[in-house]
Amino acid sequence: MNWSIIGILIKKDLSLFFRKRFIVALTFLGIIMYLTIYFVMPSSVNENLEIGLYAPGVIPPAFTQIQEEGLEIEGVESEAVLKEAVIDGKYVAGVSLPADIVEKFMSGQKPDIKLYFTPDVPQETRDAVAVIIRELAYLQTGQVLSIKITEEILGQDMTGKPIPARDRLRPLLAIFLIMMEMMGLANLLSEEVERRTIHALLVTPMTIKDLFTAKGITGIGLVAGQAVLFMALVGGMSEQPLIILVTLLLGAALVTGIAFLIASISKEFMSVLGWSFLTIIISIVPTFSVMFPGVTTDWAKVIPTFYLIDTVHRTANFGSGWSDVWLNLLILLGFCLAITWAGITALRRKFR
Amino acid sequence: MSRNAISAEELTYHYGELVAVDHISFNVAESEIMGFLGPNGAGKTTTFKMLTGQLKPKEGQAKLLDMDVTKRVERVRGEIGVCFEDTNLYEQMSAIENLNLFARLFGLRSFDGDALLKRVGLAGRGNDKVETYSKGMKQRLMVARSIVNKPRVLFLDEPTAGLDPVSSESIRNIIIEERARGAAVFLTTHDMLEADKLSDRVAFMNQGRIVALDTPHQLKQQYGKRALKAKVSTDDGELEDREITLDKPETLDAVHELFAREKVVTIHSEEATLEDIFIRLTGRGLV
Repeated sequence: MNWSIIGILIKKDLSLFFRKRFIVALTFLGIIMYLTIYFVMPSSVNENLEIGLYAPGVIPPAFTQIQEEGLEIEGVESEAVLKEAVIDGKYVAGVSLPADIVEKFMSGQKPDIKLYFTPDVPQETRDAVAVIIRELAYLQTGQVLSIKITEEILGQDMTGKPIPARDRLRPLLAIFLIMMEMMGLANLLSEEVERRTIHALLVTPMTIKDLFTAKGITGIGLVAGQAVLFMALVGGMSEQPLIILVTLLLGAALVTGIAFLIASISKEFMSVLGWSFLTIIISIVPTFSVMFPGVTTDWAKVIPTFYLIDTVHRTANFGSGWSDVWLNLLILLGFCLAITWAGITALRRKFR
Repeated sequence: MSRNAISAEELTYHYGELVAVDHISFNVAESEIMGFLGPNGAGKTTTFKMLTGQLKPKEGQAKLLDMDVTKRVERVRGEIGVCFEDTNLYEQMSAIENLNLFARLFGLRSFDGDALLKRVGLAGRGNDKVETYSKGMKQRLMVARSIVNKPRVLFLDEPTAGLDPVSSESIRNIIIEERARGAAVFLTTHDMLEADKLSDRVAFMNQGRIVALDTPHQLKQQYGKRALKAKVSTDDGELEDREITLDKPETLDAVHELFAREKVVTIHSEEATLEDIFIRLTGRGLV
């Protein structure tokens, strides 16, 4: 490989990239927009315990009279509404009282009280809600252990520390940012083919290896540079910066490979735009598993970006180490190599 | 004696079952302009691509400056200049940026882009973006780009197609200057008059084969006929055409007879054109 030629090509590509006003606007507006979204999101977790209550029969007075700081109990009209509200995140927990609760208290039997939680409610919060319910039952009857509590997790269970919503958003915003760069890169490549400038380059001492190396470095540099900048500005590099850096570099390589593929099947800017948006829509699906745990299942793992998002989420938000994410990174590397190989093969055919 | 700059031996290429170039052989010497003529689909572009290392021949061998194009493609590319038929410039860059980019790719340390632009008649427009250029200006810039590295072999694919006479003439002058500098020029064109005017030798290509290769003069001698064309006035005042084939033993008698028996209004000699010869050899025009 001729590094002098590679350097010349990178300089040329960057120069052309920054002459495209639309792409530059997307790049800079993207960073500003994602940073704005991050910083306007709440930076702390709501510590009020909001509990939904469904009581088909007579509500024991203790359940309506309790007024503790940070505890709010709100009645709903049915168990289905209660479950839906819990899933929607309106309540931290849902409490469903049996219709015959008062009779059972009176007769000394143990009524069965159901508690519903969202999947990501930490165990400590679940325990706290259970304690509150037992306390209420005690206030009502003056006896301990007078109730049976059944917990039900709505969706896939997932324990963990409470994470501010904006921090949950970080992987989503990062993936949006790098996916937008994919569009710019794919457009650069597509134009090179469609305007046949590639043929002019291929009759100079430049080799096809030089060309792909230059395109790869340009792509990875542009994408990773912005993603790292974003993560650094939003504090995403404070935990395990090396893992985050490696993950973002792999993500950038993945996006560059996808850009090669898109360029190989696109004929002009509109088709680049169309294929890019389709890819972006598919690529952001795994972010739902981070934003809304339990919503997506194992099928999301067939999407390469899952391993990028999951690794960023685990590392930036939970401080996971190499031993926790090495398999993710390995799979991500595998996807990078496969997609880049496919992209280069498809583009080479188009160069002829 | 000039040595061969391009040497093709039994060069063959096929796309699946379709044979595009069928065992063609020819040489182009240094300081020689070779016109490569043929209709669309004759195999000109495929030959062009094999000679410039863009396609690997299926059979045969192409040598440039005694170097095998397939085996020493990078070295070969350092010695050639290529001007494509379709405009393929970086349109968002200026003309000077385009030239500088290619000068750097060829590893040139010192390069005077302004002088080259002046040579192709684009002085003063070097800093304008190429997208603002007319077709003729772009084509002149394409030619300028192809000679950035002072190539020893220059490939030109339809360099004057669709251009105004001034731009065409400017490009023809560059081609002649490059030959004078010592470059071998491989010129593919549809324009028979241009080929006739510029080429030291021309090759007619048809259906992947070279059907004739010689100097324009020799081709006309061998395949064409020279004639006298006259317009004569008949008794009722109408004009009629008469034609006498030249270079035959009976030509002189025929000329005497024409002037003795007919009222000649106009008379002129006419040579066969390359196009006539091409049609005669292939049974088809250059479409």
